[in-house]
Amino acid sequence: MPEVKEFVSAIKPTWCPGCGNFGMWEALKRALAELGWEKHEFSVVWGIGCHGNGADFLDVQGMHALHGRSLPPAAALRLTRPDLQVVVEMGDGDGYGLGMGHFIHTVRRNSDITVIAHNNQIYGLTVGQASPTTDHLMPTVSTPGGVLEQPVNPIGLALAEGATFVARGFAGDIPHLTELYVRALSHKGFSLVDVFQPCVTWNKHNTFSWFRERVYKLEAEGWDTSDRVKAFELSLSGFHDLTCAADECRAPLGVYFEEQGVPTYEDGVPAAQVPGWSHASEPRDISSILAKMS
Amino acid sequence: MSPSAPYGKEVRIRIGGPAGFGIKAAGQTLARLFARAGYNTFDLTEYPSLIKGGHNTFHLRISEEEIFSHVMATDVLVALDAATVGLHVAELTRGGAIIFDPGDVAATDLDLAGRDDLCLVPIPLTDIVYEVGGIKIMRNVIALGAVLGHMDYPVEGLAESLRSQFAHKPPKIAEQNVAAAIAGWEAAREAPCAFPFHLAPRVDQPSTVVLDGNEALSLGALAAGIGMYAAYPMTPATSVLHVMAKHADSSGVVVKHTEDELAAINMCIGAAFGGTRTMCATSGGGFSLMVEALGFAGVSESAIVVGLLTRPGPATGLPTWTEQSDLRFAIHAAQGEFPRVILAPGDHAEAFELAWKAFNLADQLQTPVIILGDSYLSDNHQTITPPDVGAVTVDRGQLQTTGEVENYERYAVTPSGVSPRVLPGVIGAQQIVNSYEHDAHGWAAEDAETRVVQNTKRLKKERTARDLVPAPRFYGPPDAAVSILLFGTTKMPTLEAMKWLEAEGVSVNMMQLTTVWPFPTQEVNSYMERATRTLLIEGNATGQLEGLIREQCLREIGHRLNRTDGRPFSPEQIYSTVHCILGACVNLTTAGAVPDIEGGR
Repeated sequence: MPEVKEFVSAIKPTWCPGCGNFGMWEALKRALAELGWEKHEFSVVWGIGCHGNGADFLDVQGMHALHGRSLPPAAALRLTRPDLQVVVEMGDGDGYGLGMGHFIHTVRRNSDITVIAHNNQIYGLTVGQASPTTDHLMPTVSTPGGVLEQPVNPIGLALAEGATFVARGFAGDIPHLTELYVRALSHKGFSLVDVFQPCVTWNKHNTFSWFRERVYKLEAEGWDTSDRVKAFELSLSGFHDLTCAADECRAPLGVYFEEQGVPTYEDGVPAAQVPGWSHASEPRDISSILAKMS
Repeated sequence: MSPSAPYGKEVRIRIGGPAGFGIKAAGQTLARLFARAGYNTFDLTEYPSLIKGGHNTFHLRISEEEIFSHVMATDVLVALDAATVGLHVAELTRGGAIIFDPGDVAATDLDLAGRDDLCLVPIPLTDIVYEVGGIKIMRNVIALGAVLGHMDYPVEGLAESLRSQFAHKPPKIAEQNVAAAIAGWEAAREAPCAFPFHLAPRVDQPSTVVLDGNEALSLGALAAGIGMYAAYPMTPATSVLHVMAKHADSSGVVVKHTEDELAAINMCIGAAFGGTRTMCATSGGGFSLMVEALGFAGVSESAIVVGLLTRPGPATGLPTWTEQSDLRFAIHAAQGEFPRVILAPGDHAEAFELAWKAFNLADQLQTPVIILGDSYLSDNHQTITPPDVGAVTVDRGQLQTTGEVENYERYAVTPSGVSPRVLPGVIGAQQIVNSYEHDAHGWAAEDAETRVVQNTKRLKKERTARDLVPAPRFYGPPDAAVSILLFGTTKMPTLEAMKWLEAEGVSVNMMQLTTVWPFPTQEVNSYMERATRTLLIEGNATGQLEGLIREQCLREIGHRLNRTDGRPFSPEQIYSTVHCILGACVNLTTAGAVPDIEGGR
């Protein structure tokens, strides 16, 4: 069983001191160690962004994909390699902006992968533009007059498309986030953990302290995780805006919704039951197909 | 100007009418019928991008001899509406027949362009439908019966085909169709003029298959052991998805109709990471969306196969027509520089062969391989000798799928540029398959030295590829009056024209670039060095292959033939062009008639 430190690569993290990505990195290593996943039993796929730089900091068998395109290769890997668990790390601009189409379609397939969204509500690596989850009316370098759109509601979208595990974590609470990761990684079917991950350099609004004043834990309140509609309502209440006082706009953390036993996309694909490479050890016999063409 | 004569060894049939009249289905039934009866067939489907209405045609060539392409002449025109007659009367050979429904248009009102040599075969298609208690779409089956009746060809084979075609439906449906076909057959035999030649089933002919280019590509991919096919529908590539989906479960292929082409190619890269042989196919528009990921496959050294089956662009262009204008696009697609292989099958047999070879090349080189085809290949069926499945080999290159590895470096520098590939799942195979520039392990790297080392390593694979890719193919005598250069499907009408020219004693040879990238510079140089006159034929306006030859070989082409109207080159056009180059232009009698040739034809 690998220890937490064995997942640390030889590359020293280059995130800004205090970046929320550190907490997410730590929580994932702890969750993998707790689950006892050996390095050859899973793969991690990253998109592009500050979160994606984490591909260098984790010692795994992984893939650093294109911006916005982490989900298709991850889903295909899962489909063609039933022997591997697949984890996706994506950003909010990456996964909910450029990659939004893939996100919705991967959710509705119930692909058996775990998606961890590094949601810092800003574009970090391209120095501070508004992201799809930036709060309404927040000024940024690309929106000096404030963001006019409503922020994307990833939890609500995932619930609407039939996601079977939807949770929200906070990078400032590593033990709780580790718990969420363990549950998501253990879930059979699509699981989303959207994580509030404060960007200490470019997002001066949604800071660690801003979140600490607002977050609360669903499990502490005896939340029923089996009601999709209630979970959807909760996802709407989770919205916050710039002027909202801490006691009015509370941000729930924990598992919003969970449903076991729903068939995954992979379950429905006969060819997905063996590793794809096993079909190409020798030429395939196509004589019966040819016979129908004469 | 008189129409050309019919040719005693083949029959050309055109079925025309609005979309939704079952024209393609009827035509394919006929093609299969004659293929089973020992004839060579080639069909050309022409259709606008709509589902009902418009003007569709299916042109079928049936020959006792080996044929390579479609021709423009027609001996029997089946007009499922009145407009078809006026649109195609000019291509009818002397004494050609028009099968039409007098319920659509009276014989006296047919637009015959003043011709009096034609044989009018009135068949009350709609009346017969009601007599047999059928539905209106069955007019096509009656017309098929009429075609056979007119040619004095037995109807039993058609009846048999219809019974097997409708085997999954209630028996009544099949019998209605059979009755309809027989009624059409009998009605045609009452026509006042005899068909100039007699067709009969041929015996002791070698067995053949009838397939279109997309089927041939799919079969090649299946034979190669493809494990995942991902695609978004786009004409003319769409039917690859259908073929793959049909055989997915029985063959063990994961087939995914994705949300878009971005997902399709990125899924291929993910599947390739896991060691699966994988392919996506699309046309120019979808390929445009795939471009960034093509570069990802290049820098991450992912073994993927991409089908680029082109049509006239830009943008939506002419969706259902053909063009060869994406050659430069395929060669240059994606930012940065990385090795790629581009194979251009020239016909159906090559589509099968180059498809399975593409998978070997992708694995051997760990880089994207593009199969460059077009609508002329994708859509049209040809009778061919069954693909040689015994020749198929699987070479996965340097690949470790299971076990254990120590101190693994995914991007280790090697003399060939190809690094040993160890799959995830192997103990110790930690790696990052990376879209960033990276070091030997796969970790992102921006230092100057690593960049140059890795970029150089990747580009070395282009040199390695030169020894692995299929060589150009040569046809005709070594020395000829005219030497033709081309790539892709233009091969088909060119071979046909060469057959006619050879019969006249005009010597022509041809060099076909089966691999267009890496560019076969030496071979083109040698060929052009020896040529008396060169003719380059390509289906684009700007001379993309011509420009490549200028760039790679520093040579000028003598003559060129380009086409951009969406229609394929016809052998008639190529035949005429060669004669013109030799100083004696042959004025073909109509826009597409087969020339009358003394001797062989």
